[in-house]
Amino acid sequence: MRQPSELRLSCPAQSRYVARIRHALAAFLEALAFDNDLRDDVTTAAGEALANAVEHAYPSDSGKAAGDLQLLARVHSGGRLSVDVSDRGSFIRREPVPGRGFGLRIIRAIARQMSIDTSRGTCVSMTFEAPSAASKR
Amino acid sequence: MSSGNSITTIRLSGELEISRKQEIRDALRRSSEDRAILIDLADVTYADSIALTELLRFCVSAQREAIPVALLVQTPQFARVVEYAGLAGAFKTFNDRDAAFTYLTVAGKE
Repeated sequence: MRQPSELRLSCPAQSRYVARIRHALAAFLEALAFDNDLRDDVTTAAGEALANAVEHAYPSDSGKAAGDLQLLARVHSGGRLSVDVSDRGSFIRREPVPGRGFGLRIIRAIARQMSIDTSRGTCVSMTFEAPSAASKR
Repeated sequence: MSSGNSITTIRLSGELEISRKQEIRDALRRSSEDRAILIDLADVTYADSIALTELLRFCVSAQREAIPVALLVQTPQFARVVEYAGLAGAFKTFNDRDAAFTYLTVAGKE
């Protein structure tokens, strides 16, 4: 049985690293022959989770030093793709603000499933259907 | 930013994402002389919700003063992320530059 393909990345939770992580994820998906639209959509959803972690995980007024964030992407047998974005910071549930908060809406529109685990920092877990060449191998 | 025929053009390109938040906000400033505004996003290859929030803020502000704003969108990622965010109705978008100018020319006179 083929082992799932996997990409693990970690970086400081700073805005200048988000694009690099996103580009690495896009290259990973391209290498697995994901089509352009799906690749764009998955990296868009992951980009939202990454940006959310940068903005909220380690607030400057928390007294905690800014930490890292991680991305784990896995292609499972059967063609399912999962992407987890996690941090060890604090999760603050915010009231909806008109004209803001589109990030989670975008993730929910793209991902087949999405969940948020706040037991140890925050982990946004997303799964996608991946009808790519990778899933057919 | 450029201005001609009473239509001001604001051009943004590349990846509009979190690390460019302040740059996007700075670019999206109106002057008191603006009568109609084209935001040229033809060369935007990626946009996130932070960029959409800044664009929405700008468009709502212009709308309050009856200044028409059109977005020129020619890349699929941007068009889709607007849909995913549920903002398709919030922006006047065009994929054709001439059509955007025609709209702004007419709307700017109303």
